[in-house]
Amino acid sequence: MLRQDSTKTGSVLVWTILVIAMLSLIAVETLRLVTVKYQNALQTSTWQEALLAAESGIDLAIVELRKSLYPQPNHAWEPPWGNPPGNEITSHDLTTVPNAGLNGVPMTIETSVDAPAQLIDPTNSWQYYRIRTVGTIPITGPARTSDNPQDTKLRRLSLRWERFTNGILTPHLLTAPQVSRRVEAVVRPVSAFDQAIMSVGVVDLTNQNIVVDSYDSTDPTKSTNGLYDPAKRQENGDIATDGQLIEAGNAQIYGDVATNAGTVSGAANITGIERTDFYQQPIPVGAPSWSTWNSSPSLVTGTTTINADATKGSAASRYTLSSISLSGNKTLTVAGNPNGSQTYIEIYVTGDISVSGTGQIVVQPGVTATIYFAGNVDISGNGVLNSNNQPSDLMLYGIQPPTDTSEHVSIGGNSQITASVYAPGHDVTVNGGGTNGHVYGSVVGKTVTMTGVSNLHYDERLGATGMVNNYKIVSWFEDNR
Amino acid sequence: MVSAFRCRSLSKTQAGYTVTELIVSTAIFSSISLGLLMGFTSLERNYVATSDFSLNHADEMRISDYMAMDLRRAIAVQSAKNDTTIFIPAYYDQTGTPQTPALDGQGGVFYGASGSSVRIHYYLMAGTIYRQQDSAPAQPLAVNVQDFVFDVTDAGKVVTTRITFNPTFNSGGASAAATTATAFYNTTLLRNSRTDIQSSVY
Repeated sequence: MLRQDSTKTGSVLVWTILVIAMLSLIAVETLRLVTVKYQNALQTSTWQEALLAAESGIDLAIVELRKSLYPQPNHAWEPPWGNPPGNEITSHDLTTVPNAGLNGVPMTIETSVDAPAQLIDPTNSWQYYRIRTVGTIPITGPARTSDNPQDTKLRRLSLRWERFTNGILTPHLLTAPQVSRRVEAVVRPVSAFDQAIMSVGVVDLTNQNIVVDSYDSTDPTKSTNGLYDPAKRQENGDIATDGQLIEAGNAQIYGDVATNAGTVSGAANITGIERTDFYQQPIPVGAPSWSTWNSSPSLVTGTTTINADATKGSAASRYTLSSISLSGNKTLTVAGNPNGSQTYIEIYVTGDISVSGTGQIVVQPGVTATIYFAGNVDISGNGVLNSNNQPSDLMLYGIQPPTDTSEHVSIGGNSQITASVYAPGHDVTVNGGGTNGHVYGSVVGKTVTMTGVSNLHYDERLGATGMVNNYKIVSWFEDNR
Repeated sequence: MVSAFRCRSLSKTQAGYTVTELIVSTAIFSSISLGLLMGFTSLERNYVATSDFSLNHADEMRISDYMAMDLRRAIAVQSAKNDTTIFIPAYYDQTGTPQTPALDGQGGVFYGASGSSVRIHYYLMAGTIYRQQDSAPAQPLAVNVQDFVFDVTDAGKVVTTRITFNPTFNSGGASAAATTATAFYNTTLLRNSRTDIQSSVY
């Protein structure tokens, strides 16, 4: 009996061991396969995250560039950044951010910004900046290569060696595996006059008699003799608000409209597209910090002539006035060279500007005038004569008023004005009092309202002139050496 | 007597099983063995199909990542089924060193000679998906992928890639639904302005 039982048990035992062995083999092979694939997936996700880190570096650099546009003290390029970027000067920043998506491993964002001389636009002297970033994330798990060599070639994981040392393609030994991705972007300055109308708050175009369109004074196919020609009308009369509302009033808008997650009402006559993804905080204008300027006149209330100068930014080309107040037939003449050659003038008005009746500010041929104003502006009738007929030759900048102060710019009457207005702290109104109200240029305000029969013709050339208000990426390249 | 009885008794014990018992036990053994064999065969087939699926999925991911990397920096795209060409800036010079960009006078920049670009061609040929950069030798990204289909949908500012394959879980071949279920999508935002169509930077 004992011998028989023992034999039967032995047979079952052999079978059991055999089955368990086979199942174990399958389990081990499955586990091996799954582990390899898990490792591959983990490395891939780390590689993807490293790109996010690298692109964050571009954002960090643009934040500093934008900061540098603010009035002083703007705290741009402060430590840990180095010197402000320039030709042969690279500003460098190293930021470490915990990455919640990958078990809290720290991702490192290394950013370098420089300003090569060949990236200066000769037409307006604007500097483009080159931003180079490296996003690095440690690889959790063993330093094991993928089972497919093409994965290794694509992702270039640094398991034992890092390919770059101080930005140069020279490998160095690592203590722990990591993955790095490198991106180079070039950003260009964006003009404060990048749109026909831009507002911090509401844009209100009150009726269908209003027309907003565009032309390009530098392109003979889009203008005639550098002037607006309705037969060559362009559809880049874009309107944007950093707020939530554009009351389009069924106005004739030859361009796009954009809000910051807001709505557009009365949009029946808009030729372009409607977007809700606009976000741009206009850079406030600070008071000029000149050390020297013309001491006379200090105030303009009667007929006066002030002279522009051939040297831009010279003391002779700068004036500080407490106010300009012209009524009746009083005229402020901004005189240039009699031969009409290029001259410049900057006027800082610490108070209000008021032109009424037949009073007028006359900008003579060849003069490029920039007027900064701290108070209100009221111009009616044909209050401003820009002899060049180019809005880029007469720019009005509203200095940011103190908080809780309400200031305004009002351009009105049956008039024509060729100028660009940038006053993001002022409520701007264009009043078309008659049947022939035309503004050639661009308007930026805290709020912008157009009434009556008023036409705004945006000169696309303004997109490359005036104050820099932002930076925009114009080139992006991932360096995957 | 005693001895004879013992002998007879012993031989009865040695004979052990009747024919019926043998038949029954053989049948049970055969059934169990057949069950085990079928089970193992099924497991093995399932393992092969799963392994194949896993490998194909890794191939999909790799092809998709390669294309997304090139699309992100693309300045022009020509898309077709299993044959897509992407043009990227000529960032590197002949020695493979990055070049300094230059202004194009239109508010943009370029690398290398004005109007130059690097052509990257993705195509499926003889069961292999290749990536070829200009006239350099084509680099195989995935082999044994004759059942793969990569589709590129060009929407201007974004481009979507869709890659599918035929899974091998059914011996009769993959159904359309099973193939669709393997679709691996990747929608990529093109960072640069395109030179072939009107588009803006991001």
